[in-house]
Amino acid sequence: MNKLPINCPSCESALVVSQLLCNTCETSIAGNYSLPVLLQLSQEEQSFIFEFILISGSLKKMALQMGKSYPTVRNKLDDIIEHINQLKDS
Amino acid sequence: MKTILLKPFEKYQETQLLAIGSLATIIGGSIAYILGGRFDGVLDFHLDSNISIPQAILDSSINIVCLVLLLFIAAKYLNVKTRLIDIITTVIIARIPLYFVPLLTIGGKLKAATTEIVALITPENIQNIQGNIPTESLVIVMIFAIVSLLFLIWSIALMYNGYKTATNAKGKKAIVLFCIALLGAEILSKILIFSF
Repeated sequence: MNKLPINCPSCESALVVSQLLCNTCETSIAGNYSLPVLLQLSQEEQSFIFEFILISGSLKKMALQMGKSYPTVRNKLDDIIEHINQLKDS
Repeated sequence: MKTILLKPFEKYQETQLLAIGSLATIIGGSIAYILGGRFDGVLDFHLDSNISIPQAILDSSINIVCLVLLLFIAAKYLNVKTRLIDIITTVIIARIPLYFVPLLTIGGKLKAATTEIVALITPENIQNIQGNIPTESLVIVMIFAIVSLLFLIWSIALMYNGYKTATNAKGKKAIVLFCIALLGAEILSKILIFSF
């Protein structure tokens, strides 16, 4: 499946969903839906959150798995939290 | 290679950094003592053949404690989540380049050159000292100064990278606080070392 674009390739503004499709019966819904905050994160940030959940939220285990130090992984998480707060406020 | 030399704090776990830093502190301090030098300040190395083992241990301990204390205060101010262990490993790893400086004194040429220059400095010939210094001694002292400066820059770069990783600090405020902590540690260590 193609990577979901979250920003406009022309002006870089955040994209919204205008059409949804049921793959089974091919019903389509048109409208104007904003993307959930988690989907507005970059692919790298989403992968980090995904791995973090799978490892039960242990930063130490995450650091070992990524081959990075504990503070580096914690800093990454803090940056993602800051990014999420910015997206929530905007 | 760049990671190992400048940003080991991003990759290696605190236990590994603590083990390497502690070992380097013991080996580096011992080499300085054997070669007749002392780290009498967080950014200093001076030749002193009369130094005792307890004084050499005290010098190193004061330097490390002063740096850890002031950097930790700056780090906690920037980010309350900063861990003490990350500042300790930052300090002991960042001091490794300084342990190469005593090796530059091997062979005794630096000591001979500085002794020669110091002997020329008397109240009578202080005005005409420039022309009287032997070129060879001057070159030896200058090479030592330049190479020492490179090790010092490497050490400070390592310390800043470790502090940045420990605090996730960004921007000018982090740089200013780092400089204040480093200079504060230098002053505090000098006062403490010469008080004992």
